[in-house]
Amino acid sequence: MKFRAFNRFLGILLSFFLFSCASDLDFNQVNDVKIEPVIVTNLAYFDVLANQFVTNGAEQNVIFDAPTVDVFNGSFFRQRLKKVELFFEMENTISRGYSVDLVFLDRNNQPVHAVNLAIPPYSGIENKVTKTEVFENTQLDVLKRTTRIAFTMTMLPGAALSESSTGSLKLRSGVTAYLVVE
Amino acid sequence: MKKTVWVLVLMLAINCFSQNKQILYNFTSVPQSLLTNPGADFKYNFYFGIPLLSGISANVGSSGFSAYDLFAANGVDFNVKLRNVVFSTTRKDRLAINEQIEVFNGGFKISGEQSNSYISFGMYQEFDAMSYVPTDLAILALDGNRDYLGKVFNLGDLNVKAEMLSVFHLGFHKNINKNFILGVRGKIYSSIYNVSSTNNSGYIYTNPSSAGVYEQMIYSQLQLNTSGIAKYDDENYEPNVVKDITKRAFLGGNLGLGFDAGFTYYPKKNVQLTASMIDVGFIKHNKEVESLTYKGTYEYKGVIPKFSSGESVENGFQDFKDAIPLDTLYAAYTTWRPAKFNSSVQFSFDEERPEECNCLDYNPETIYKSAVGAQLFVMTTPRTPLVAFTTFYRRKIFKSLQMKATYTLDSYSYNNIGLGLSSTFGPVNFYVLADNLLEYRDITKANSLSFQLGLNVIFKNRKK
Repeated sequence: MKFRAFNRFLGILLSFFLFSCASDLDFNQVNDVKIEPVIVTNLAYFDVLANQFVTNGAEQNVIFDAPTVDVFNGSFFRQRLKKVELFFEMENTISRGYSVDLVFLDRNNQPVHAVNLAIPPYSGIENKVTKTEVFENTQLDVLKRTTRIAFTMTMLPGAALSESSTGSLKLRSGVTAYLVVE
Repeated sequence: MKKTVWVLVLMLAINCFSQNKQILYNFTSVPQSLLTNPGADFKYNFYFGIPLLSGISANVGSSGFSAYDLFAANGVDFNVKLRNVVFSTTRKDRLAINEQIEVFNGGFKISGEQSNSYISFGMYQEFDAMSYVPTDLAILALDGNRDYLGKVFNLGDLNVKAEMLSVFHLGFHKNINKNFILGVRGKIYSSIYNVSSTNNSGYIYTNPSSAGVYEQMIYSQLQLNTSGIAKYDDENYEPNVVKDITKRAFLGGNLGLGFDAGFTYYPKKNVQLTASMIDVGFIKHNKEVESLTYKGTYEYKGVIPKFSSGESVENGFQDFKDAIPLDTLYAAYTTWRPAKFNSSVQFSFDEERPEECNCLDYNPETIYKSAVGAQLFVMTTPRTPLVAFTTFYRRKIFKSLQMKATYTLDSYSYNNIGLGLSSTFGPVNFYVLADNLLEYRDITKANSLSFQLGLNVIFKNRKK
């Protein structure tokens, strides 16, 4: 009697497992992971007032600065960077034209890339110029060496500015970085 | 190899990680039901579990996706499956594994003619891991931020904990009168290791801006606490994992205290009410503690040349590291055990005249052949508590075979059918309980599976 009960018990147990099954799984697929995030961030920004071009009543025709930039630092980032877009937008509300040079310098102060933006004087209507540059492959490798950017603003000939001149020269610049992580 | 490990985990750990033992609860022909309610109506002269075999239980659960969704060998590109999983889950979805093995377990009735008091004791090892799906961080990693301007990525989505511990327990239950049984159990926890990162907050966002192209902000309050693993980081340390685990399992780890309490009450002979609180306790981590934090705020503006007028902002990676530094702390911390609340109501019918009257025994499992009822389970988690509602049917199939079938509703599924069988041949009790039976049609598609089995030796009171 007891034996029969035990058999039935086993029977119930076994029939339960017989109905179980499993699809094929392939955990090696983890090795196929390839993610391609696109990251946007700021590259540079300035907003120079008209009167900054005037010192003690005399015009400064050229102003210059070369701050360090380490957007391209960090080995994780560098190795997985496949494409970069640099976006520049200048807006001028000063009644003088400008030529703005951005020179990307490597650690030996050698130029690796240069961008020139020329913008006419302000005449009461929106006065913007934009530029987008794309870097891939060798060009990108060169760009990655950048450690500083030299900004040079040269005033073009025109009506003289004074300490009370209005308006400003504004630069907005961003980076779009295309990464591939495998 | 990886596959083998996974399949093993699945096989061993077939179950719902909620730690809801809805089949075991109040299934009093199994001694281990005392661990879910120290006031369970379980009578014995003495019993002991076969060491290491008396209680094996495991659960795996994933509320948002199954192993099949991610790893099916169906020719679909893994990256497509990964994206589907990330975008179909939410931060509320959880992944969890729980595993318990009883090392030893036993109990005896306190001697004396009128005694209705019982002692039970034992030790079990437990592994517990739980992670919420870090949805926002996964989206940021997969897609980056370009297409998500204006979206605030929540760093609080990172919520993970894992712990291995051993538990020593001593329980006492007593028939206060013939229809009321009260039980308590004290527990000492010895944590072998603990990793927890459950109180994170912070955000990352990128908004279009007129000053600069973007307004980009990171506010981070991330902290990861660990105990018992710091020394494996040290290159000079020669690890002896087995020795370490053994030592810590036997009260050499970070210690904690907790208790369980519960009761069984019969308002009428065929109506039974029970309730229990399990694992109300904490562990104080003060040995081999190491915590990592990333705390701070940082706004990335890019390079801002100031020309001759002042210092340029060379706002870069170093600034970021200074603003949100990686700090290592060695401060003690406390973790709370996930507390569990169970309650049940049961109506018994199909009365069976016992051959010999045992007038003291109210236990419906001996008097009635059948019972129906409902159970409620609530467990604390790092976020909202987990709730499960179960209805059950219990039936004595033969004198030596009890069956309990359950239907459970919880956040993992609405079709969780479970079945438990407990057989007693002579003094030997063998039980096997499994839930989510419908998922066994294809276990790789299961969101949650649980499994418990064990072998005990029970000597019941035969006299009168």
